[in-house]
Formats: sequence, structure tokens, C-alpha cells
Amino acid sequence: MADEPEVDERYNWGPLVADLAARREAALGMGGPERVERQRSLGKWPVRERLDALLDPGTFTEFGLLADHMEPSLAHKGSFAADGCVTGVGQVDGRRIAVCAYDFTVQAGSMGRVNEFKVSRMRELALRQRIPVVWLLDSAGARITSDAGSTFAGNGALFREQVALSGVVPQVAAMMGHCAAGTAYIPALADFVPMVKGTSSMALAGRHLVKAATGEDVTEEEMGGSEVHTKVSGVADMEVADDAECLAMVRQYLSYFPSSNTDEVPDVPCDDPVDRRCEGLYKIVPTAPRRAYDMHKVIAEVVDPGSFFEMKAAWARNVVTGLARVGGRAVGIVASNPMVLGGALDVNSADKAARFVWLCDAFGIPLVFLHDVPGFVVGTAVEQQGIIRHGAKMLFAISEATVPKVSVVVRKSYGAGYFVMNGLAYEADYLVVWPGAEIAVMGPEGMVNITMRKHLDEFPEGAERDAERIRLADEFRTNIDPYIAAGHGLVDDVIDPADTRLAIWKGLEVAATKQVSRPWRKHGVLPV
Amino acid sequence: MTDVRAEITANVWKVNVEVGASVAEGDEVAILESMKMEIPVESPVSGTVTAVHVAPDSQVKEGDLICTVDASGQG
Repeated sequence: MADEPEVDERYNWGPLVADLAARREAALGMGGPERVERQRSLGKWPVRERLDALLDPGTFTEFGLLADHMEPSLAHKGSFAADGCVTGVGQVDGRRIAVCAYDFTVQAGSMGRVNEFKVSRMRELALRQRIPVVWLLDSAGARITSDAGSTFAGNGALFREQVALSGVVPQVAAMMGHCAAGTAYIPALADFVPMVKGTSSMALAGRHLVKAATGEDVTEEEMGGSEVHTKVSGVADMEVADDAECLAMVRQYLSYFPSSNTDEVPDVPCDDPVDRRCEGLYKIVPTAPRRAYDMHKVIAEVVDPGSFFEMKAAWARNVVTGLARVGGRAVGIVASNPMVLGGALDVNSADKAARFVWLCDAFGIPLVFLHDVPGFVVGTAVEQQGIIRHGAKMLFAISEATVPKVSVVVRKSYGAGYFVMNGLAYEADYLVVWPGAEIAVMGPEGMVNITMRKHLDEFPEGAERDAERIRLADEFRTNIDPYIAAGHGLVDDVIDPADTRLAIWKGLEVAATKQVSRPWRKHGVLPV
Repeated sequence: MTDVRAEITANVWKVNVEVGASVAEGDEVAILESMKMEIPVESPVSGTVTAVHVAPDSQVKEGDLICTVDASGQG
């Protein structure tokens, strides 16, 4: 007999489980097949595929899959799957992160009351668990259709909470769609912001609002695309080609960081010997002082192969900042770039370096400085841009940083440029210079023009005065000599350029247990 | 065809190649001058120069073409 087993009404779970399964399936489908296909046709991955690419397989625990808008006024619109934002905890390389992935297929990924509650739960959880937060942003911003009135008076906790998280756990905001207002401030307060070329943007207001407010007719891309934010404004850190590269970069970025500021940075195995001779440097760096070279090649030569992860590569290119590994250990690199402005520092490069130093210091990542800096750019233009306060910001960041700090003077390091690149007085733990390195308050030509002005006036203008100027500069130049600095014990060693990798490693080793005590204060007064 | 472009706004100081010249990857095709620094422009590929877009003493902006190299027929 194949009789159906009789249903015991006291234990009748079947319909309940089936109802749950149907609800889950509907929610997992997000905005429905049509909108998901539209998302794909724009070159953007559906949110669940993004999570699959970001997280280790099978590690995602979702929170709030069955959330909905719950607004009586929106009842006619039906359900909003997950209320437009998928949240939960998953793993990257075996370590947990909290994820908040806004999904454009559901109400343009707008920030509604319920999804904001879900995201606030992730911020809370990340703080309690001391794990990073990663936002995947593909959101039009606030859901003004349901949140347009003066109940706004109670909003805004998200940014205050993000500030509280800053420097406690890593925060990553990946720009994977056109984001405005609220979803543009999230990246502004995050540590690392990659942007997908062509499909992402961020702006305080979308183009319709801009048109209404100012009359300006502009596309999202022109106003706040990856080109603008990685090359002009410096708000974003990296331009990536597509969703796949974006998520791979997020994973790689996190690999250099501890889960929180009280955790350890994970080392990775490294079969590149720390004492590997870098003889390629003889060919990369010219001894002729006016001859420029690409500092990226120096970095690539000394760090573990393929480990350099540059941040803000296309903005303020006169300084190079990025994460790397030496002997498997994560480090932050701040390097002059003689190819751009001769490596001189200006307002944007000072900003870029200061922020990077704060980032590394917050998470215990040692810093390595490669100097080839003629100083700060001078003149009316930079004074009007506030070069003094921006330079002061970099001084502030370097002075505050208590992580191990290693300095290598490759060719020259002049004036305040020497200070902000972690000169001896800035608690440099190991400071080495290459033979021929120039360290001084300023170059010989500048010295002559200032200190010998009256003397030079005694020579007829033209060839004679120029000849005297050159003679005096050569005389001053004899005082600029690495062996004078070494003779006074003011640099720790003069090294063979080919031993630069080893010197950096030694610096990390000698500073491994670094402790710095400072007087109690609430916080310093930051020059910004 | 590979375009070789200026990395930075600068004066063109020297142009080391002419149309038809063969270059190896890493060869200096031109030297720019900016902020009292000599900035070498290297060919990213080996090949034959098919066009030179700048002359000495001209000005280039970031992204401007310096020369074009045809890498076809090279190993």
C-alpha cells in the first residue's frame, strides 16, 4: 500500500517550512530576474555573485534576508527583498568580515529605514567582534520616497558610528555603482575606496539634484566617476576595470591588515631571501642628480616579488604610497617620485602621505620611507593653496606615528622634505643612506643665492656673476656629504644600494618591539 | 601600434629617435625637462618607430603622444 502517511496535525511543520522556503527564495532573487538581468547588462554583477567573489566559499552568514520596507505607504509596491541591502558575516582568507552590500535591483539600492537598521547592526557587530567592515556600494542614496520629511532630524548615526570605527577595524567601501549623498560619505569615511571604471561614481548630489540646484548639466561619470576621484580629487584610492578586479583588490587589501587595531598583522610565507642583493638598483637610479627615474622600479626591486599594492597611484604622483611585504611582513611604503615635480612635495602629496601614514600607524603596520626629495614646492600658488598647513599635516602624521619607521635616503633629502619623510628627529628607528646621498637644509644653489647675495652683487651681472655663483655652489656642495652625517652619527649607516632590501629588513627587526610613551592628551589639534 | 606618451607636463629637451628607427623595450625615445629634472621617456615595447609627434623645445602635457612604435614582427 502506498498510502500517504497521515498528517499529524499536532506536528504539522510541512506548510510552515514550505512557506519559509518560498519567502527565502523570493528574497534571494532580489529585484527579480528582469532587474537582475538589467544589472548584468550594465556590466555590473548581481549582488549575490559579488558576495560569492568577495568571500571564501560557503562562509557567508546572512543577517536580515527576510527584511522588507515595512512602510504602509509603500504597501502598493510589494516587498523589497532584503530591503535592498544584503548584510552578514563571511570570511576572507579565513578571517571574518562584516559585509553590507547595497543592491541596485531593489529600489536602486536606496537607504531605507529597515536596511539602515541592518547596516547599523553590522557596524555594531564589527565593533564588538573587532572585525573589518566592507561596504559594496551600488545605491542611489537616501530613500527619499519614504523618508522625505522632518523625521530626518533623527538621522545620521551611520557616519558618527563610522568615525568611531575608524582606526579600530579596517573599513573598505567599494564603489560598484552610481552613488550619491549618503552613499558617497560612507567611502569618504572608509580607509580604502576602489572604484569600478565606467559603472561607478560618487557625488554629494546626483545629476538631477545638481541640475535643479545649480543648472549644471553633467553626467554622473563626468561629475564623480573614477577618472575624477582617482586623478583629480583624490577621494578614491584605485580605479579597477570591473567587478571581478574590484573584489579581488578588496581581498588583497585586507591581506595586509589585522582584523582590528589590537590584532596582529598576519605574515605570509616568503621564499625571497631578506638579504637578496638588489643589483638592479645600480641601473635604475642614476648618480647624475638631475636625472629622474621611476621610484616604482626601486620599490619593485626591494620588496617581496609582486607584493606592492599602490594606493592613490594616479593622484599626487610626486609621492608614492602603498602596502607591500618585506620578508613576508606587511609594510607601508612612502616614497618620493622624482619623475613628477622632481619628487618635490605639494599640498596634495602631503595630504596623500599624511593619510597613508595615519592608516598604517592605526593598524600597526611598519613604515618604510624612500627619500629622493628636493623639499616642498615654494611660491605664491602653493602658499595660496595652504602648503604650510598641508605640510604641517604631514609633519603631524609622521610625528604621531609610533609604528616601526625605517628611512632610506636614496639620493637627496632637503629641508622640511627630510623631516616629513621621517628624518632622524622623527623617531626613525633605522636611518640609512646611499653613498652620494645629499641631506641639507637646502641645495647649494639656494644657499648661495640667499647667503651670498651681497657678495654676488659685487660681480658684474652676466657671465662673471654666474661663474662666481657656480664656484660658490661647488664650495657649499663639499659640506653636503653623507660621510659628514655618518661621521656625526646622525645616520645609522651608509649602505651599498644593492643591500637596500636587507637594510629595510634589519630596520624592521631592530624596531620589532617598539614602544613609545607620550603624555596623556585627549587628542592633538590637527592641521588639516 | 603602441603609443608612447608623456607621463607629465614638461618641455621636450631631446628626441632620440626618428621615423624608421628600431628601438628595444626600455630604450629612451625622448628626454623631457621639468622642475630642473631630466625625465626619460622609455619605449614600453621593442619595435620600429612609425611616427614622432614632438620636437625639441616643444611643450607636452600629461598624456600627450611622444611617438608611436610598431611592435609587430618582433619576437
